Amino acid sequence: MLGIGLLGGWRVAEPHIFFAEVNERQGVFHRRAFVLGGFAGLGLVALGAQLAHLQLIESERYTKLSASNQFNFRLTPPPRGLIVDRNGVVLASNRPNFRLMVAKDKGIDPKQTLKTLAEFVPMDDTRQSRLLREISNAPRKSPVQVMEDMSWEQFSAINIRAPELPGVTADMGEVRVYPYGGAFAHVIGYVAKVTKEDISDTGPNADPILLNPGFRIGRQGVEQAFDLDLRGKPGAQKVEVDANGHEVATDPAGDIKAIPGKEIVLTLDADIQNRAMEVFGEQSGAAVMMDCRTGDILCMYSGPSFDANKFVRGLTAIEYKELAQYDHKPLFNKALTANYPPGSTFKTMVALACLENGYDPSTVHSCGKSWAWGGRVWHCDKAHGALDLKGAIAQSCDIYFYQAALTVGPDKIAAVARQFGLGQEFDIGIPGQKKGLVPDTAYKRRAFPKDPVWHPGETPSMGIGQGYTHLNPLQLCVQCSRLANGRKALHPRLVKSVGGVERPAGASFGDLPFDAKHIDFIRNAMAAVTVSGTAAGLSNMGLGDIKMAGKSGTAQAFNYTAGHGGAHGAQGEWKFRDHAWFIAFAPIDEPRYAVSVLVEHGGFGASTSGPLARELLRVALLKDPEIRATIEHPLPIPEAPKVESDPDVVDPPTPAAQAVQTAQQTTE
Amino acid sequence: MTVSALTRPGERDRLIVKLGEIDWIFCLTVSLIAGAGAVMQFSIAGSSWMPWAAPHLARYAVFFAIMIVLSVIDLRVWFALAYPIYGAAFLLLLAVPIVGHGALGAKRWLMAGPIQVQPSEIMKIGLVLALARFYHGLSGKSAQFSWWLLVPALLIMAPVALVAKQPDLGTAILILATGAIVVILAGLSWRVILAGLLGVVALVPPVVMFALHGYQKARLTTFMNPEADPSGAGYHILQSQIALGSGGLLGKGYGLGSQSQLNFLPEKQTDFIFATLAEEFGFVGCVSILLLYAAVIFMALRTAYLSHSHFGRLAAAGVTATFTLYVLINGSMVMGLAPVVGVPMPLLSYGGTVMLTVMCGFGLVMAVRVHRYSEVTSGKGSLL
Repeated sequence: MLGIGLLGGWRVAEPHIFFAEVNERQGVFHRRAFVLGGFAGLGLVALGAQLAHLQLIESERYTKLSASNQFNFRLTPPPRGLIVDRNGVVLASNRPNFRLMVAKDKGIDPKQTLKTLAEFVPMDDTRQSRLLREISNAPRKSPVQVMEDMSWEQFSAINIRAPELPGVTADMGEVRVYPYGGAFAHVIGYVAKVTKEDISDTGPNADPILLNPGFRIGRQGVEQAFDLDLRGKPGAQKVEVDANGHEVATDPAGDIKAIPGKEIVLTLDADIQNRAMEVFGEQSGAAVMMDCRTGDILCMYSGPSFDANKFVRGLTAIEYKELAQYDHKPLFNKALTANYPPGSTFKTMVALACLENGYDPSTVHSCGKSWAWGGRVWHCDKAHGALDLKGAIAQSCDIYFYQAALTVGPDKIAAVARQFGLGQEFDIGIPGQKKGLVPDTAYKRRAFPKDPVWHPGETPSMGIGQGYTHLNPLQLCVQCSRLANGRKALHPRLVKSVGGVERPAGASFGDLPFDAKHIDFIRNAMAAVTVSGTAAGLSNMGLGDIKMAGKSGTAQAFNYTAGHGGAHGAQGEWKFRDHAWFIAFAPIDEPRYAVSVLVEHGGFGASTSGPLARELLRVALLKDPEIRATIEHPLPIPEAPKVESDPDVVDPPTPAAQAVQTAQQTTE
Repeated sequence: MTVSALTRPGERDRLIVKLGEIDWIFCLTVSLIAGAGAVMQFSIAGSSWMPWAAPHLARYAVFFAIMIVLSVIDLRVWFALAYPIYGAAFLLLLAVPIVGHGALGAKRWLMAGPIQVQPSEIMKIGLVLALARFYHGLSGKSAQFSWWLLVPALLIMAPVALVAKQPDLGTAILILATGAIVVILAGLSWRVILAGLLGVVALVPPVVMFALHGYQKARLTTFMNPEADPSGAGYHILQSQIALGSGGLLGKGYGLGSQSQLNFLPEKQTDFIFATLAEEFGFVGCVSILLLYAAVIFMALRTAYLSHSHFGRLAAAGVTATFTLYVLINGSMVMGLAPVVGVPMPLLSYGGTVMLTVMCGFGLVMAVRVHRYSEVTSGKGSLL
């Protein structure tokens, strides 16, 4: 009634006061309100208690959690360690690289992003679709490199528009660069993109830096073998991020500096190595040079080579196919893997084995171009006539060495050869050596269960470095440098120091267990080779008194049967030609450098490889300050024998003499 | 002016007397909380009045005026309108599934031109009014335990069922709890209360198992173990706790809360505004705000205490209960003591709907205070 009255005229009827209603209902209400109010108070106290627990007791924990929310550390890749040659010439370094990266994230259409980017940088449709695949395969927010080596204009154009392009970052990274391109490609190797296979759950390759866009890992050679040293330790950049992972600000004070990779000093000499590449040209082969006082490898070239910089960028399928299918096999490091019969260079070992076993070097055998023994006829290149041991080395007479080898037998020859490093693997720091083989009767027993006997007929072939014997250029260089050194069992050293820590020198190894007189004999014979022997004339290096000794070798490449003269040599189809070896050292009297040169299918060792060996030695000698000193400031000419030549007649200067003069002029 | 003026009919109906009787300290406290809300909303918008702080304050000003207007309306008018308001709210609730709007599969509001009407909010006040009116006319004995109790049961359960169906479990529970509190305050037998509590406890597992929606269940399991899925469903709870905990004693400083400023905190301007405050002002700031809330609750409850009419008592206490439940539920949720339900912190959170409900409710509370000596008839003959 009252309600209707109120609604009708808003006239409030005068109600009667009934305080009598202070009654049971009110009492109940008051008590219960008190109780429920108490509950409310308790509830608020409980909230306060929880607040105290969170904000006072566990505050530290939540502060940490909050900070880890707020700040991310972004890895900054360390600069990769430099690789330099023995004189500090940089062989591998880093150059700035303007990169463009796109990340997948919520609300970003990578396809559209790439389309937009294609307006700034060249990116055709196939490339775009490939990148799109890469981006969609990558985890969210992890950027994928879509472009590198942008020009400054492209870089700045994109950077300016970066705010309108979510998920796109343009930054300056570093990329490996090999200033000499191909010359060091096999030794140093290269770096390339990280593949899924590279990343492991444990070990050094679990390093999260591997996931950094554009990060590259060492492949081949020094880059691979010393990858961890070169890699360094990544730093971190402290960035403030919001809940979506977008960067809000950076905090330079919180950055952790990257530790650059260690510098690696190689024993190589850039000049010799570059010269090797020049003189090899398109020839297939390898050259190894060692300092025969220390064992340092001054040159290790394999030709033809390839441009390692292209591998850093990533080869196109066509480029790779070209390299892989080229019959000169540019991708192999022939200095370590091209194992061939050593040919006549092996005669030095046979001769030393003879001398060590009481053979009289004045023993004379007569060569009539062919020799019948063991029921067959053995051949020589020509009829050398009567030769003693030295003459036989100088003339590289096969018939003499067939017989010499038969006198000592395969086991003794093999024992000597192994002492000279043949058939051995050396710890030079980089992987990939093929050990090759120096055969003996034990080998025959082991390898040929059906025919375990060393037949006498196999010995003559071994005597001239054919047959089972397979050796690589590094081994021949070690052999030559040990001969040249004459005393020490030098070991090759390729890596001089890593991060300033010197690696053990190759000269610190033990002595050769041979009579010094016998080694002298071999050295003298090798000197005779280049003066009057098979490589007559090569001894003259155009450096005056400084002469070169050596030994040529020609290994039959194809279808070899012992003693068969066959169609070998420098004629015919390339792949059927013989392999040309040459080992040499200089100066003859106080040897400093020893070199081995292999030219695959190069024909005769003396004519193909010999000049290469001489040229490389020349470069090494000309770089040697002591040798230069003797050339530039020759000792006074001894008084005694007055040369009865007409002083008016002046010889026209030979090219070699000119070279010396030029060298003198340039230094003066 | 003396209190005795209020007992004098005629004198007490003068507007100036009524305005003087409004508890201005209460109004000040409420305004302080709303102001704190604006301060936080200014901070998390990156020291900007837009988009939250300015609308928040403007809205509060309007609603404050509404509260004052409501507080001078005679309690007998409230009394007379109790059932009509409830009935209107109920009809609107019925209309929601048919012509309602909503988001994410839940229809919760109606559009009246540009104005968004949430019937469940009107029902919060409507139910309190209806229950208060009903019990006003009921004898204490009947309120203890009698067949009459079917009426409040129906009054409560009908809207609760409709709201839960929307689905808006948070509001449904809030309405149910508010209704239950009024029934208890009205003098329900303790035995019945105990039986009811046992019944609720027994009902929880089957309801959780069968009646809850998938997302509702997920919220519960997440609440039990938020670390199990820190970036997924447990994200809100964990981030909120991080915000609170990292605030420490004095907070990170105004505008320096990384959790809220960098968007790690979800719903930072609405449901989780308290975490924002906790992060920037620390324990000291939180306790200050909680004390303000406690003061509001105390003053409102005291108003109920002072009322001479049973209707006024129950109405004021019912509104207080709703407000208290808001604070406790939101506080527990933000602090990881309760599952995440969409209940804002009243007055502090951004959002007009709840603020309007709360301010209308406070208008009712103030009306109860102003008219505490008003005689309200037993209502016999009007409906009961």
